[in-house]
Amino acid sequence: MKRYGILFLLLLWPALALAAPSADEIVARANKAAYYAGKDGQADVKMTIYDAHGGTRQREFSILRLNVAGEDQKFYVYFKKPSDVRKMAFLVWKHVGGDDDRWLWLPALNLKKRIAPGDKRTSFVGSDFFYEDVSGRGLEEDVHQLVKETDDQWLIKNTPKDPDSVEFSWYQVWIDKATSLPVKAEYFDKEGKLYRRVSAEKIETIQGHPTVVEAVAEDLLAGTRTVNRFSKVKYDIGLKERLFTERFLRRPPREVTR
Amino acid sequence: MKLWLTGFSMKYPRLVLLLVLAVTVVFGWQFPKVKFDNDPENMLDAHEAVRVFHHQVKEKFSLYDFVIVGVSNEQDADGIFNVGTLDRIDRLTKQLLSLHRTADGAVAVRNPDGSDRILDLTPESGWQRGLNVAFQHDPNRLFTADGKSALIGRELISPSVVDNLKQAAFGSLKLEYLMEHPPTTRAEALQIRDDAMGNPLYKGTLVAEDGKAICLYLPIRDKTFSYNVANLVRALTADWPNSDQVHITGLPVAEDTFGVEMLVQMATSAPLAMLAIFLLLWIFFRRVRIIIAPLMVAMVSVIWAMGLLIGLGYDVHIMSSMIAIFLMPIAVADSVHMLSEFYDTYHLYGDKRGTMRKVVGHLFMPMLYTSLTTIAGFASLATTPIPPVQIFGLHVAFGVAVAWLLTMTLVPAYSMVFISEKSLQKLQLQRDAGKPSGLNRLLEGFGRFSYTRWKLILGVTMVVMVISVVGISRIQVNDNPVKWFTADHEIRKADAVLNRHFGGTYTAYLTLEPGVETAPTAADLQQALVEAAPHQLPEQWRDEIKTFSADLNDLPAVPDIAAFVEEARALAKSYDQRLLGDWRALADNIVYLDPAGLDLKTLARRLSALPAGQAALGRQLLDRLQGTGAVGDALIDAALAIIDQRQGRGFVALVDQQYAALTAPLFKRPAMLRWVEKLQQALAQDPVVGKSSSAVDALKKASYELQYRVDRSAAENQKRFAVPDTVSAVAQVFTQLEGMKKKDTLFHLVTRDYQEANLWVQLKSGDNKYMEQVVRDVDAFFVANPPPFPVKHAWAGLTYLNVVWQDKMVRGMLWSLGSSFVVVLLMMVVLFRSPLFGILAMLPLTVTIAFIYGLIGLVGKDYDMPVAVLSAMTLGLSVDFAIHFLERARQLQRELGSWQAAATEMFKEPAVAISRNALTISIGFTPLLVAPLVPYRTVGFFLATIMAVSWLATLFLLPALLTLFRRKAFGETAEQSLEEKG
Repeated sequence: MKRYGILFLLLLWPALALAAPSADEIVARANKAAYYAGKDGQADVKMTIYDAHGGTRQREFSILRLNVAGEDQKFYVYFKKPSDVRKMAFLVWKHVGGDDDRWLWLPALNLKKRIAPGDKRTSFVGSDFFYEDVSGRGLEEDVHQLVKETDDQWLIKNTPKDPDSVEFSWYQVWIDKATSLPVKAEYFDKEGKLYRRVSAEKIETIQGHPTVVEAVAEDLLAGTRTVNRFSKVKYDIGLKERLFTERFLRRPPREVTR
Repeated sequence: MKLWLTGFSMKYPRLVLLLVLAVTVVFGWQFPKVKFDNDPENMLDAHEAVRVFHHQVKEKFSLYDFVIVGVSNEQDADGIFNVGTLDRIDRLTKQLLSLHRTADGAVAVRNPDGSDRILDLTPESGWQRGLNVAFQHDPNRLFTADGKSALIGRELISPSVVDNLKQAAFGSLKLEYLMEHPPTTRAEALQIRDDAMGNPLYKGTLVAEDGKAICLYLPIRDKTFSYNVANLVRALTADWPNSDQVHITGLPVAEDTFGVEMLVQMATSAPLAMLAIFLLLWIFFRRVRIIIAPLMVAMVSVIWAMGLLIGLGYDVHIMSSMIAIFLMPIAVADSVHMLSEFYDTYHLYGDKRGTMRKVVGHLFMPMLYTSLTTIAGFASLATTPIPPVQIFGLHVAFGVAVAWLLTMTLVPAYSMVFISEKSLQKLQLQRDAGKPSGLNRLLEGFGRFSYTRWKLILGVTMVVMVISVVGISRIQVNDNPVKWFTADHEIRKADAVLNRHFGGTYTAYLTLEPGVETAPTAADLQQALVEAAPHQLPEQWRDEIKTFSADLNDLPAVPDIAAFVEEARALAKSYDQRLLGDWRALADNIVYLDPAGLDLKTLARRLSALPAGQAALGRQLLDRLQGTGAVGDALIDAALAIIDQRQGRGFVALVDQQYAALTAPLFKRPAMLRWVEKLQQALAQDPVVGKSSSAVDALKKASYELQYRVDRSAAENQKRFAVPDTVSAVAQVFTQLEGMKKKDTLFHLVTRDYQEANLWVQLKSGDNKYMEQVVRDVDAFFVANPPPFPVKHAWAGLTYLNVVWQDKMVRGMLWSLGSSFVVVLLMMVVLFRSPLFGILAMLPLTVTIAFIYGLIGLVGKDYDMPVAVLSAMTLGLSVDFAIHFLERARQLQRELGSWQAAATEMFKEPAVAISRNALTISIGFTPLLVAPLVPYRTVGFFLATIMAVSWLATLFLLPALLTLFRRKAFGETAEQSLEEKG
């Protein structure tokens, strides 16, 4: 009986190994789920920035996203509130493996300005989210390692290939097996201390795509926190690539003004 | 009654000695509980309004105390901006940022290769180490209790970690750190210089305008870390070449270093004072056994006073660290007086018990009163509003009381047990064998002089008084904690170098917040709209503007502006729809056109398919586009450009803009920001201010970089280095600044709601008088240039706090001087039971105080903390001589029958005792003269001077005055006086 048992295991072994995905596969799946759902997508975002003393600032904006050739994507961010930044807009052309193109539109100054490629780990409009959190971090920038697996989550440790390019020494991401969505990312400094956390607080399935509808980024050193609440999420709306051009900065597309 | 204490002590000397020992052990037991506090901020009560405000400001704008590390290079042609120095600065920055505690608790920073560099900041000298143990100073304390670094890394200011906005390729804007990477070529190094100089927030703050120095600002979690942080920086830069000079300064470092050195001072000065007194007494009495008694009195009273202070739970502060040194010379005074008389008169009685009784008998009252007046002088410090000064005054007063009690009990008891009659007789024999001492002869000469030349003495005194009053009128109230160090101290030198290169290392914060402003009403908005419409809307809408204004009037009345703006916007929308609706729709249709294969012909076809209104406009558009030859994207852009010209801004935009202008937070309003700009320009003109920084500087810089265009002239671009014209434009530029690489740095200068602003004012000197000058200048600016909106302003920052407690100190001291004068005068009147003698007793000290303060005024020495503290106690100390003198003079006059005879006797034993007393106290304070800290030197010098002057004043002025007033004072008749003259 014992012998059969071993034989049974030996037979099954290759199959089990195949079933357990590699770390690279897991992060690729998570990246897809988090940033590439549908051909395109749109959402309204209500952003609340909490300072260390409990004060808050509110921003409201709409995001359009379009998947283009390869893994590349285009984003259009249009501000609605507060009223003094109404109509302010960002345009991002994300190039996987290369520098992104970014433009800024400041309506009150009638000003369109290109932003030179640079550090993507800078605050997105003063919040605790980075530009990179909005558009996604290149998978090829880190070495991924499966640290732990539970019944419903994978824990991936990510170590940057170029440690000087980032402020963290490594970060770990919990990925939900059911949705493939990353649900929590924790960033550690060079002393191995946790200093930053980004987490998905609420997930809903919209048009078949599990979607994070509430995300929180926390700066544990400064004691600040930003909550993004997503509404009116839609996928596959047939956005034209033409919307993601400088021309539409001055004249925001109907998709965001409506 | 007078002799009860002494009698008891001579009867049960061993019991008294045992009791004193027991109590001393109890007080000494408290010592290990000692806690030190070297924060001058504690000169103000923790609940003091300005201190509370200071902390609110720090909290509100996330401000921290800084250790300022300056690096200067005067040798390289490019100054600090050479590859080597910048690389070292970058490395230092990263090391400081990586400060952490290893698993086994050691201090470590990270090397460039990622490995740990373990540091041990324990000083090499065993003496220093011993002191650190004694004063519980851990040189490696660089972490909070929960292991956080003493430095707040994310707030550190260094070229490697401050944001910079700059132009990059293709007219794009680059956002990076000023020194993103250490330069590898000269050109890169110079680029960093130019970038820094182009940013008003960095020029004069981070980098010196002469390019020869850079300042790193290290924010610390608590001021008490500053001394150790300074040492850490010294350790990390120890291997730097000589061309790179490192200077560490800033008020927190100065204050913390002072605290540390103060303890060292305390540990050295007090024993030195003890030694000096010992030597002096030895010269007087030549018998160790004899002089042990006064030394015991001094030591025991210091132990009791300090034990009480520690036992009551008070921290040893800058002031209380001086208790020992103050108390010792004063404490020995009475016993020196007593012993002096005891040995001088022993030969008359030949029995120590009897001699002691006799001596105490006639010294009891003067000693009681001299002690009481000294106590009154110190206790009067309790009336000052400065807690550490109160504690100091009360504990010294307690110590003086203890010293009196011990003189009455311990000294006689000691004499009974440890000094044999035989040794006294031997002493007497030696004494008889010797000639009269120099001191005796000198004093007898003084006596003759002051009796015969009394008119001259009074004349000279008058002259001195007049000069003193002139001096006093010139006194300058000023203090500067950095100047508490001697000129050759490292901190003073660093301070001088950095303030030469930079805008100044002394920080004050000028905060601006909205004053009482009536909230804007619906009527205000309506009025603003009616006024602005003709200016902001196209000329050809003249009629529409008129009807719009009229329509606004007809809108249903609503309570508040928020409701009204909705109505107005709806109305404006209908106007826009009518006037611009078709243009907008047309533009929207064109912007969505597929550029592929688009030419004029296809465009015409697409336009004609639009609704009639748009189609009509489309035909106008096509006319304009004829002959441009544009196709595809270019054609769309050309069409949109034409529409832009026609379309104008519209009524809704007008409503939004006016509403924003009325309701915007104070520091998003262009008028307010321009006023701040003007205030900063005025500050820049102020010779005392090196530099001021505000959110407006950041705004102007960002506005310039955002709007910079390669195709514009430098002058045209420079015009954009300004506050934008509208609230929205300001808000949109600020939004860019909020999202920099280093998040939230803007909010050190303005609150997140843009309602309050903080001007960082850097002063070239920490002298309080300069800070006061700036405060006055700003007040004057407010009066001459009223801000466009009601604004309240207030000051914070350590430099300003020092002004506040200085002010309290000066007022407090004046009050305590006045009150103790009155109290001592009353005591004198009671003691002598004569108003005349009371006033006479006050005169030498009045002359002394006037002379001392006159001197301070004349030599231009600032009236600072130590000088202020001196004023009140001077009184209690210098009246002592007068008491002894007058008391004995009266006794002798009674015994001998005439003042002339008494005067001769006065300059024998009584004058010797007074002189010994004066010398003891003066000498006791002299160790302070070699102190490395200026306040101690000041105290030492002035106390010695006070003793000397009041001794002279007593010995010359009092006999002269007694001669003048002898009839009134002694009731001598005219005959007696005549007889003397004859």
